[in-house]
Amino acid sequence: MSARGAWLFAALLVAAAAAAMALAGANPAAGFFALVRGALGGEHQLSETLVQTTALLFPSLAVALAFRAGLFNIGAEGQLIVGGLFAGVAGAAIAAPAWIAIPLILAAGAAGGGFWGGIAGALRARFGGNEVIATLMLNIVAALVANYLVGGPLHSAAATGAETPELATTSWLPVLLGGTRLTVAFPLALALAAFLRYVLDGTVFGYSLRAAGDAPQAAARAGIDLGRTALVAMTLSGAIAGLGGATLVAGVLHRFNVALSPGYGFIAIAVALVGGLDPLRIVLAAFAFGILQSGSLTMQALAHVPKDTVTFIEGLAIVGLSARHFAGRRREAG
Amino acid sequence: MSADAGAALELRGIVKRFGTLVALDGVDLSLERGEIHALCGENGAGKSTLARIAAGLLAASAGHVEARGAVGLVHQHFELVDRLRVWENVVLGREPRRGLRLDASAARERVRSLAAAYGLEVDPDAVVETLPVGIAQRVEILRELAREPAALLLDEPTAVLAPQEIDALFATLRALAARGTAIMVITHKLQEVIAHADRVTVMRGGRVVMRTATRETSLEQIAHAMVGGDVPALAARAPTVARPAFAARGLRAGSGAHALREATFTVGGGEIVGIAGVEGNGQTALTDAIAGIVPYAGEMLLDGRPLGGSPAARIAAGVRVIPQDRRREALVLPWSIAENVALGDQTRPPLRRGWAIDRGARDALATEIMERFDVRASSIRTSVASLSGGNQQKIVVGRALAHAPALLVAYQPTRGIDIGAAALVASRLIEARNAGTAVLLVSFELDEVLALADRILVLYRGAIAGEFGRDGFDRARIGALMAGAA
Repeated sequence: MSARGAWLFAALLVAAAAAAMALAGANPAAGFFALVRGALGGEHQLSETLVQTTALLFPSLAVALAFRAGLFNIGAEGQLIVGGLFAGVAGAAIAAPAWIAIPLILAAGAAGGGFWGGIAGALRARFGGNEVIATLMLNIVAALVANYLVGGPLHSAAATGAETPELATTSWLPVLLGGTRLTVAFPLALALAAFLRYVLDGTVFGYSLRAAGDAPQAAARAGIDLGRTALVAMTLSGAIAGLGGATLVAGVLHRFNVALSPGYGFIAIAVALVGGLDPLRIVLAAFAFGILQSGSLTMQALAHVPKDTVTFIEGLAIVGLSARHFAGRRREAG
Repeated sequence: MSADAGAALELRGIVKRFGTLVALDGVDLSLERGEIHALCGENGAGKSTLARIAAGLLAASAGHVEARGAVGLVHQHFELVDRLRVWENVVLGREPRRGLRLDASAARERVRSLAAAYGLEVDPDAVVETLPVGIAQRVEILRELAREPAALLLDEPTAVLAPQEIDALFATLRALAARGTAIMVITHKLQEVIAHADRVTVMRGGRVVMRTATRETSLEQIAHAMVGGDVPALAARAPTVARPAFAARGLRAGSGAHALREATFTVGGGEIVGIAGVEGNGQTALTDAIAGIVPYAGEMLLDGRPLGGSPAARIAAGVRVIPQDRRREALVLPWSIAENVALGDQTRPPLRRGWAIDRGARDALATEIMERFDVRASSIRTSVASLSGGNQQKIVVGRALAHAPALLVAYQPTRGIDIGAAALVASRLIEARNAGTAVLLVSFELDEVLALADRILVLYRGAIAGEFGRDGFDRARIGALMAGAA
C-alpha cells in the first residue's frame, strides 16, 4: 500500500470510529481520549496493553509467515484455540518444576496449533485444496471441539465456566512486573519476531518459502517443492498461533477456557497486513491494535462508548485490508 | 478532410501517455488505399499502441485519427471465443436476427460467401479451439473483413505461421489491397517487409524515425533505424566438436493437440541443436519434460546417467532451462536482481552456506552477470519488475549459464526483447556451446534457429519430422516440414 493510501485508510477508520461513537450517543473526542488513557495512562494500563500486544503478536506472526508463502491462513484463531487446549490439558496433568513444566506446556501448545495448521497444509499439498476454505472451516471445528471437550470429558469439577482445571502455580509463566499480568510471553514474542525476520530474509528455507509465495511457477522450476512448502509453512504457522494460545493459558488465564480468545486470530490478519507482513513492523502494528484492545474497556466506563466500537473498527480493518491483499494478488496472477 | 484523396486512414500528431510514460510522441501516419504498409520497431517503440488507437480501441492523449470507413485490427494474440464455432465468432456483435432470434442459417451463409470472396478457406461450423493457429488467424481476419473495413491492421500476424503459410497470408493481403483496402502489417521480421510491403515506417521510442518506399531501402537500413545504431555481430562459432551429452528416447508428454507424441534425439556437448516448428507442436511439453515439471514417458540420459526425478534433481545434474515466460516462470518480479540470481541454486554452494544464503557470493554473482551481460540497472538491489524485457532476459540467461551447465534448454530465448539484447543473448549461447555445453534451442523463429543451430530438428504435431545438418540447411524444405509436408 502506498503511504498515501495507508494514511487515507487510517483516516477513514478514525472517521468511522468517530461516527460510531456519535451514533452511540457519546462524544467522539472524549471517547478517543478515554481510549488512549485507558491504554497508556499508567503503569497498569501500559502493562495491560502489552499483554494484549503479546496476545496479538503470536497469531499475527503466524498469519504473516503463511501469507509470505502465498497461503491465506485465516485459521489462526482455530490454531490458537487448539494450541491453548493442548496446553491446558498438558498443564493440568503436569506436576513438575517450572523449568520442565513451562517448556512442555508451550511445546504442547505449538504441537496442537501445528497439527491444526498442518491439516490445511496437507490438504493443500496432497489435493490442492484451498487453504482459505480449509482454515476457515477448521476455525469452527476447533471451537466446537473445544466446547465439547471442556464442557464434557475435560470439564473441571471446580470450575464455574467451560474450562479445564487450573494449572499448578509452578506452571505459570513468570511475571515480569509485580502486580501486573505481563509475563515472559512478551519478550518471547519479540524474540520470535526477530527470529522470523532472520529466517525469512536470511535462510535458504525462508528464501524458498518467499519464492513459493511470490512466484510459484518460477519457484517450482527452481526446484522448490510447492506442496512440501505449503505443508511446512502451514504447520509452522499453526505452531506459532498455538504457541500464542499456550502463553494465554499459562500466562493469563492459568487454565484453558473456551473464551480464551476474543478473536485474536482474526484481528491478527489486519495486524499482519498493517505490518506489511514484515515481522518487525508487525510488532509495532500489534502494539497499535493492543492499544485499541486494552483501551476499549476504559472508553466504555469513562466516555460511555460501547467497547464494541473497537470490534467494529477492527472488523472494518480486516475486511478492507484483506480485500486489498486478495485483489492485489489476483491482479498479479492475471 | 484529408489532403490526400487516396488515404484510407490518417493519423496526425498522435500522442499517448500512460501516467508519466510517453508511449507515442507526435506520430503521423497515413495508409493509402491499395498499399501494404509495414510498421517496424523494437518492443516498446509504440507500434501496438498506435494500432490500437487507429482502430479506436484506445483513446489518444492528443492528435487526430481520420478514417474513411471502418478500421479492422487483427490482434497478435487472437481475440476469439474458443468454444464457439467459426461463423459464431465472425458475426459476434453483428448477428443477423429474425425477430428476437439469431438467424443462424443467414449468418452461416454470410460467412461462407465472405470466405469464398476473399479466398480464405475455412469451415464455418468448425469450433475455434480445434483449429490450428493458421486457420484461427483466418477466422480473425474474416471477422474484421465482415465489417468491410477501409483499413485492415495486423499486429505481428506471422509470428505463429510456418514460412509457406506466411507467403499465403501475404498473397491474401495483396489481393485485399488490390480491391482497395489499405493494409498495415506490424512485424519485426524484416525479410517480410522487404519481400511484401510497398512502404515501411520505422518507429523508435514513440516517434517515427524512418518512412520510405521499400524498394528504396534495405534490410540493414531498416534494422539500423530500429536500433538507432549498428546491430551487434554474433559471437564467432568455434569448429564443431560435439561429444555425447544428452539423449532422449521415446519421449512423450502432455495431451491433446499440443502434446509431444514421440521424440528421440541427442544433443552433443559443444553443439546447438535447434528445434524448428510452429508454436503449439509440442515444444512446451518437450521443454517441460526435460525440466521435470510435467509427467512424461520415455527416458533421458545426461552424460551416460539416467536423468529423472524432481526439478531439483535435474538442476543438480547440470540441467538449466530458460523458460518461455520469463516473468512468471523464471523470475520473482518483486525481488531484486541479487535475490533473483540465486533462484535455482539456492540449495548448493557457493550460494548456500549452512542454513543461509551466502549474501557475499550472491551479490558477487549478480554483479558478474550485470557486467558480463550488460544489464542496464542502477544496482543489484534494483527490483527486476522495473527492468525492460531485454534486461530481465539477460539476468535469466546469465543465471542459467553461471554454473557451466551440462545441458541448456533455451525456449524462445529472444522473444519480445530488443535487437541488441537478442544479439547479446544469442552470442552467449554460442559461447556456451563453444565451451562445451549441450544447447537445445527451441524457437518459433526459423531465422533464429537457422542462424544459431549446428543441427535442426523439425517438430511437427509432437513428432520429429526431419533433421538437417548445418551444411544441409534448406529453408524451403524446413519450412515445408514445419507446415506438415511429408
